[in-house]
Amino acid sequence: MARSAQIASDVPCGYHGAYLRVDLTSATAKRVPLGPDVLRRFLGGVGLGAHLLLREGTAETAPLSSEAAIAFVFSPLVGSPLTTSAKFAVVGKSPLTERINDSLASSQFAIAGKRSGVDAIVLTGRAPRLSVVVIDDGKVELLPGGDLAGATCRETESTLRSRLGSDFAIASIGPAGERLVRYATISHDGRHAGRGGHGAVLGAKNVKAVAVRGSRRAIWARPEELYKLSKGISQRSFGPATAKYRELGTAANLLVFNRLGALPSHNFQQGTFAGAEALSPEQLSVTRDKAQKSCAACTIGCEHIYGVRRDGSDDSDAAPAAVRMEYENLFALGPLCGVGDPDVVLGASQKCDELGLDTISAGGTIAFAMECASRGYLDAPWLRFGDGPALLRAIDLIARREGLGDLLAEGSRRAALAIGRDALDFAPQVKGLEMPGYEPRALQTMALGFAVGTRGADHNRSGAYEVDFSDRVDRRNAGPAAAALAVETEDRAAIMDSLILCKFLRGVFGDFFAESSHMLNLVTGWDTTADELRQTSRRIVNAKKLFNIRAGWQPAEDTLPQRFLRDPLMGDPKAQLTPDRLAGMVRAYNLARGWTEEGWVRDPETV
Amino acid sequence: MSITVEFFGIPRQRAGVAVAVCPGERLGDVLRDLAGRFPAFAETCLDLGSSGSRLRAGFVANVNGERFLSDPAATLKPGDSLLILGADAGG
Repeated sequence: MARSAQIASDVPCGYHGAYLRVDLTSATAKRVPLGPDVLRRFLGGVGLGAHLLLREGTAETAPLSSEAAIAFVFSPLVGSPLTTSAKFAVVGKSPLTERINDSLASSQFAIAGKRSGVDAIVLTGRAPRLSVVVIDDGKVELLPGGDLAGATCRETESTLRSRLGSDFAIASIGPAGERLVRYATISHDGRHAGRGGHGAVLGAKNVKAVAVRGSRRAIWARPEELYKLSKGISQRSFGPATAKYRELGTAANLLVFNRLGALPSHNFQQGTFAGAEALSPEQLSVTRDKAQKSCAACTIGCEHIYGVRRDGSDDSDAAPAAVRMEYENLFALGPLCGVGDPDVVLGASQKCDELGLDTISAGGTIAFAMECASRGYLDAPWLRFGDGPALLRAIDLIARREGLGDLLAEGSRRAALAIGRDALDFAPQVKGLEMPGYEPRALQTMALGFAVGTRGADHNRSGAYEVDFSDRVDRRNAGPAAAALAVETEDRAAIMDSLILCKFLRGVFGDFFAESSHMLNLVTGWDTTADELRQTSRRIVNAKKLFNIRAGWQPAEDTLPQRFLRDPLMGDPKAQLTPDRLAGMVRAYNLARGWTEEGWVRDPETV
Repeated sequence: MSITVEFFGIPRQRAGVAVAVCPGERLGDVLRDLAGRFPAFAETCLDLGSSGSRLRAGFVANVNGERFLSDPAATLKPGDSLLILGADAGG
């Protein structure tokens, strides 16, 4: 559509004004209009995805059933010159939590998906056999994918690009998704929509991969100003606010958290790890080759990829040639399992990448099983804290659902319920989602963020740890005053995840909501304000909560496992959280959101 | 009075050391001393205004792993360890 024609139409600039609804059962697709009001109210990404799933009735379905919908959602900014905007959201109902799940990934799939001429792709139904969904400029075809059964994510992408053409972008599942591991990922170009098990949802639909290609560009309302603004933001992105990500990567957290007693180790029994220094990016950079990589359209370049030892002493079969390392991989597959050998941690991370497993949930579930084995709750004496080969073996068993792996493929909550006794007290999860690497007794605003997170224990939809890293609260004795601060970080995340922009960019903004509304206006031609975007953020969080309520949410879910409410953190008696104090924070949070004290949305119809 | 300064992340990269010992009774005193000794650290991490030295947005100080500080006038005790780190703990 020509620019003048689009401006005159009711399709806002920056959008295509429709989503593609694919019925895998009948191998048919239709283009469903999206009105400007919906787009303005929910933006894109996570916000639009939550709206689409509410519309589809997915909250009331079983996540691995054919009726459940899963949405790949693009955004108004993707394809624009704005740095870090090449991202897409995958939104569905989690087979791990039975609650809403929204995971993001980056790069060419986002750009190619948007160029297919739609703002989202919604998959429903179930293909009769393992298939590849091919979307070529909006035309949909289901191709047989049986020959890809068992292929890793990397092999699948490589094969399909050879078969279909290198201009296709591919999102795929690995063996773990095919076997319905409840924390299987969807992978694209080595990055993962990682949390909550979307890979199992695709696996249940017999979809091995989605391949997209397109030529339809959305136009921008004020392109000259947009280029100028983009250039300025890119320049700011080279500054100190992003230096951590550029120079060290997220793994820079490791030594900081260890010093603050906030690095979970041995299944959250401790807040420090004696072997942290050897796993740190500062040390890995000395002992190994390192390369850096960026997502498409990104000026930060946060991906740090480590190789084998320079001294040639590496003779381990587990050692990979090159592995991308993030803090969460490092924490979950290292300290959380008591493993301090960098080769094992790098190898475990690569295994998860290739098999299509969420590293946080894999590490969390295995660490939980290690503690169960040490207590005699599981007959698996080989599975010991600190045993690297045992960690690698457990990952393989999980991805194949063999032996003990079949139980652990269910995640720590379901495994704990099957094991019985008091196992649920120390399963490291909220709503079934394994906890990321922020010890909640040492970071208590984050504890609140974990407890109330709509997708479970979550460090991406809540940035409450930022509050703990400030003089605004006592991080080991937080109270209701922390609630409003936690809400602020969630609101900002809701907009970043819907526009979509990378959170690593957040430090470059002075007034995030004002600057975000300005960039949105340059793309769309709207006249949004910072206040409107704040309201939009509240609406998006409400939509996700409403999904959960429809899925059966109850107030008792918004808490932490007993371990965190009963036992002070080993070695730091000041780091203690009580049930009453957490409950008080949750109540304050609910009221700050405008919900009832228990957490019910007051006016669901307004969402 | 001596304060032990521990650098983490980008502050450590810029200072080129993990630990330094500095004189100073207030946060601003210590930062001023560090600015003189570690110019690359100062360029990235400090605002050296007429009202005193303070950490730039994006960096924070913590005493003994216990409490976070931002006010340059905040007092320190002999033997304190001052941690200087990035405020962004995103992972």
